[in-house]
Amino acid sequence: MGAKVPRNFRLLEELEKGEKGLGAEACSYGLDEGDDLLMTNWNGTILGPPHSNHENRIYSLKIHCGPSYPDSPPSVTFISKVNLPCVDPRNGNVDLSKLPSIATWKRDFTMETILIEIRRFMAAPANKKTAQPAEGTNF
Amino acid sequence: MTAPLPKRIIKETERLQSEPVPGISASPHDDNARYFDVMVEGPGGSCYEGGVFSLELFLPDDYPMCPPRIRFLTRIYHPNIDRLGRICLDVLKNNWSPALQIRTILLSIQALLGAPNPDDPLNEAVAKQWKARENQPEAIKTAREWTRLYANK
Repeated sequence: MGAKVPRNFRLLEELEKGEKGLGAEACSYGLDEGDDLLMTNWNGTILGPPHSNHENRIYSLKIHCGPSYPDSPPSVTFISKVNLPCVDPRNGNVDLSKLPSIATWKRDFTMETILIEIRRFMAAPANKKTAQPAEGTNF
Repeated sequence: MTAPLPKRIIKETERLQSEPVPGISASPHDDNARYFDVMVEGPGGSCYEGGVFSLELFLPDDYPMCPPRIRFLTRIYHPNIDRLGRICLDVLKNNWSPALQIRTILLSIQALLGAPNPDDPLNEAVAKQWKARENQPEAIKTAREWTRLYANK
C-alpha cells in the first residue's frame, strides 16, 4: 500500500481536479469560499441524467468535509429539492449508506465519487420515473 | 499496511531533528511519517520579520523523484502564495531535483519570504499591488499587518 495522503493534500488534489474540469462532465464541485484554508465547505452540482424525470435539471448540493475526511465520508445535503430514497425529504440530507456502491465508505472515495453515485442512483430504474418537486425549488 | 519508510526519508527526518536549520522546524506526525508540521520564521529585515508561519508538508510515494507537497497554514500576504497557502516556487515544480531535500526546500521558502517575486505571481491581486511602484509601500504595509495579525506564536 502507498503513502497515506493527509486530508488537506487530498482535498487540494480534489480541488485541482475539480478546477481543471478533469472530473466527470455531469458533476462538478468546488470550494464554497476560495480562502477557506481548512477546505471544509464545498458546493457540488449534478446535471440530471437523461431519460429520467431529472433530465436537464441542475441540482445544487452542499458538501461538508470534516477533520476526519477522507477516513470518514463528508456530509452531503441537497440544496435543490429532489425526491429520492437516499435524501431526507425534510432537509435534503443524503444518507450515503443507501447508495449501493458507496454504502461502505472507503478512503479512496472522493466528492466526485459521491456525486457520480447520486447521479447514477437518480437514473436507476426504481428512481428515474419518481415524481419530482417543481424545478428550481429549494429545501 | 503501509510500505516501510524509505531510508532516505528516515535520514532526512533524523537530520532535521538533530541539526535543525535556524528559524525552521519540521516534525513528522506520529501516525504518518511522511506528513510534517513545519514552522518557518519570517526572515529578518523582511516584512514577515517577527512572524512564525506554520506549514504542512507531505512526501508523496514518488519522493524524492517528485518534490514534496507543501503549503502555508498561516494566512500570508505574498505575491507567490495564494489564498489556500499554495506556493509558487520553481524548485517545487519544474526545477525540482532529487538532490534537493526537505531542508533545502524549506530554506528556499524562507528565502522566498525575504525576496517576493511579483513577476511570477500565483496571487494576481497581491502581485499587482506589489508591482505598481506607487502601491508597493501599501503592499508591504499589508504584509506586515497580516504577519502581526496571523503569524504570532
